[in-house]
Amino acid sequence: MEAPNLIAAVQALQPDATVRAQSDRPTLIVPAHALVALATRLRDDPALRFDLLETHTAVDWLDEDRLELLYLLTSVPLGHHLTLSVSVDRDAPVVPTLCKVYPIAEWLEREAYDMFGILYDDHPDLRRLFLEDDWVGFPLRKDYEDDFMLERPE
Amino acid sequence: MGVITDNLPGVLEPLPGGSVLVTAVDQLINWSRSNSLWPLTFGTSCCAIEMMMATGAARHDMARFGAEVARPSPRQADLLVIAGTIVKRMAPRLRTLYEQMAEPRYVMATGSCAICGGPFMYHSYTTIRGADEIIPVDVYVPGCPPRPEAFFYGLLTLQKMIREGESIRHPGERRRPVLAALPEGMTLDDIRKEMQDLLSHDANVNMTEAAAEGAHYSAELKDF
Amino acid sequence: MSVHVSTLQARISGESTASSPLSTEEYFVNMGPQHPSTHGVLRLVLRLDGETVREVVPVLGYIHRGIEKMGEHGNYRQFVHLVDRMDYLSALANNWAVTMVVEKAAKMETNDRIQAIRTLVCELQRIQSHQLWWGVFGMDLGAFTPFFYGLRDREQICDIFEKTIGARLTMNYIQPGGVMYDIHPDFVKDVKAFLTYFKSKMPEYDALMTENVIIQERLRGIGKLSAERAIALGATGPVLRASGVAHDLRKSEPYGLYSQVDFDVPVGTTGDCWDRYWVRMEEMRQSVRIVEQLIDNIPEGKTFLVKPAAKIKVPAGVHYSHVETARGVLGVLLVSNGKDAPYRIHCRTPNFNNLWCIGEMATGGRIGDLVATLSSIDIVVPDIDR
Ligand code: SF4
Repeated sequence: MEAPNLIAAVQALQPDATVRAQSDRPTLIVPAHALVALATRLRDDPALRFDLLETHTAVDWLDEDRLELLYLLTSVPLGHHLTLSVSVDRDAPVVPTLCKVYPIAEWLEREAYDMFGILYDDHPDLRRLFLEDDWVGFPLRKDYEDDFMLERPE
Repeated sequence: MGVITDNLPGVLEPLPGGSVLVTAVDQLINWSRSNSLWPLTFGTSCCAIEMMMATGAARHDMARFGAEVARPSPRQADLLVIAGTIVKRMAPRLRTLYEQMAEPRYVMATGSCAICGGPFMYHSYTTIRGADEIIPVDVYVPGCPPRPEAFFYGLLTLQKMIREGESIRHPGERRRPVLAALPEGMTLDDIRKEMQDLLSHDANVNMTEAAAEGAHYSAELKDF
Repeated sequence: MSVHVSTLQARISGESTASSPLSTEEYFVNMGPQHPSTHGVLRLVLRLDGETVREVVPVLGYIHRGIEKMGEHGNYRQFVHLVDRMDYLSALANNWAVTMVVEKAAKMETNDRIQAIRTLVCELQRIQSHQLWWGVFGMDLGAFTPFFYGLRDREQICDIFEKTIGARLTMNYIQPGGVMYDIHPDFVKDVKAFLTYFKSKMPEYDALMTENVIIQERLRGIGKLSAERAIALGATGPVLRASGVAHDLRKSEPYGLYSQVDFDVPVGTTGDCWDRYWVRMEEMRQSVRIVEQLIDNIPEGKTFLVKPAAKIKVPAGVHYSHVETARGVLGVLLVSNGKDAPYRIHCRTPNFNNLWCIGEMATGGRIGDLVATLSSIDIVVPDIDR
C-alpha cells in the first residue's frame, strides 16, 4: 500500500493518530493507552497485516523532557512499512507492553528498559538485558554520567 | 637469531649403542614446555575468527609449533589467548578462567581490544581498557585483528620467553611482558626466509629432502 | 505510577511438567559463557528434565560494548568502522547498511560502478560467511574435516579482499559517497579463478556433509520452527526462509544492482535444522550466480564521489534503511538533529531476533540436539550485544 493510503487506513482505525513530520517512512504518533489495541488490529487487519515488529527502540529528547518510543512494523506478505511513535514523560516512562501481540517485543522491551529505563506495564520478565542487575543509570539517556567512561581528548 | 625454532638444548655425544645427552634440567623443562603449549579455546569477538584461521586453517596450521591441542576446559590448558574485547560483565569470568588454569600458565593478549580497549576505548561504558587490568599478560600482539602471521610471531616470542625465562628453582617468576610487534625493518619475507634456513639445516627433518622423497614414493606408486 | 511485572521465576514454577509416572526432578545447567560451541560468549541457562530441554533462557551482555552510545560521539564515517565489529562475518554488508541510510538521508549520489563493486564484494562475503558457518557447523556435529575444508576455501576470498581492501576481516570499505579504494587490477581475474575453484569444490562439500546419512539423520526433524512463529519472533534471513517464507530484501526491496541480476531465493518447507542447512548451501550457489553475472560487467566510473574530508550533514528526522546480510535483515535507524553526528543511532541486528527462536526450537527436544540447533541458527554474539 502506498504511504498516503496507508496513513489514511490507519487513521481510520485510530482517529486521533497524527502524522509525525521528518520521517522517511510513514510514521504516526499515537497515544500510549491505545497502543496494544491498535497494534492488534494492525496485525490482524487483512488489508494491513503488519506481522513483523522489525525493531523497537527509544530516543531521548532531553530538551523536550520526553522519551520517544519508535515501533517499526513491516508486513512480510504485503511489503509495506509503518512506524508508530509514542511519547512518554522522562520521569515516569510507563507504556503497555506489546508482548502479547509481537512475542519478540519481550526482549526488545527489555533492551529499552536496560538502556532507557522505560517501564512496560504487564511485561512478563522486566529485567536488564545487557548490563548487570545492580547497574546504576540508563546508559543511552543523554544525561547519563559514568566515572568509568572516558571522553576522547580533542 | 633463533626466534623461529631450535634444537634440544644441550650436547649430544654419540656413543656406540646409544647417545649421551648433557643438559640442564631447567633448560630441558623449559624447552619442552615451550614446544607443547595447549591453548584454551577462548574468543569473545572478531579477533577469535582470525585466531581460528591461524589455528584451524590448513594454510597457517599452528601444529607446526606444537600448540594445536586446543582445550575447551581451562584445567587442561596452559595458554590463554585473549582474543577479543573484554567488557565489565565478562571480566570476572575471565579472572575465573585464569585462576582455573594450572601453573605454569601463560597469557597472550591479541588485538588492540585486549591490549587497551582498541576502538572501544572512548565513550564506552562497559569496555575494559586492556585485559592486563584483570590478569597478568605475558605477550601483547597488536592489530585489529592481528593477522595470523602476527599471531604466530607472538606465539614464537612467547616460546622464546619461556625457554629463557622461568626456572624450576623460582617457579612463577616471570619476565617482563613483551610486545610482539615485528621489529623495525623486519618483513614477512625475512621471517619466511629465516624459517626456511633454519628448517633446511637445523631441524631434525629436512623438509626439502622429505619432499623429494615423497615425490619419489609417489612416482614409484604410479609405476606400481 | 504503578507497573505490573510478573517475574520469570513465577512463570517457571507455575508450570507443571510431570508427564511420566516416574518422579523426576528438574535441574538447571549453565551453558557458557565459556563454551566451545556457543560461538563466542553466549550464556544459555537450561532447565532440564533428564535429557529433555524444558526451557532455554539466553543471558546476554558478555560482550556488550555500547556501540550505540559511541556512535553518538563520532561522525558518520567513524560509525562505519564500528559496525564492522558487530557482525564481523558480514562486515561489508554492515558498512553498506550505514552507508545506505546516510546516503539516502543526505541525498548523496552514487554511480553504477560503486553499486556494482558493493554488490560484488557483499556477495563474495556472503559466500565466505557461509563457508565459515559450514565448517563450524560440521565441527559442532562432531566432524572435524569440514572445518578444514571450509576455512581452506575461505582463505581464497580473504586473499581477494586483501588485495583490494587491505583487510581480511574488519573492512571499513563501503563509505558514504563510494568505496574506499578502487578494485585491484587483478580483482576480476582473481574472482574468476576463485569461482572456477569453488564450483569444483561444491560437490566435495555435498559429498562430505549434504549426502552424508549421519548428518541427515542428525538434522531432519530437529529444531523445528513454524513460519508463523518465525515471523512473530522476528526471525529473518536463512532462519526465516528455511521455515518457508521467501522474504529476502535483495528481491523484495532491491538495492545495489540486485534488481539487474537473476537469482533465486531458496526456501525450506518445515523449518528444521536440515532446511536451514540446505538453504545456506543453496545460497552459496546463488551468490556464485550473482557474482558470475556481474564480474564481467563492472561499469567504468569514479569510485568516490565526495571529498573524503567533507563533513556529512544529515537533515533532521528519523531515517531507516535495511540490507540483507548473510544472517538476515540488518537495519540502521538514524535519528538526526541536523548536525554532523547522529543524535541517536540504533542497529536492528539479525542475530538478536534469530537468537530468541532457540527457545521455540529447542524446548521439548534433547540436550544433545541443542548444539546442532544453536549452530544451525548461525549466531554471531557481538552482533546480538552490540
Ligand atoms: S582488536 Fe579489533 S578485531 Fe580484535 S576484537 Fe577488538 S575490535 Fe575486534
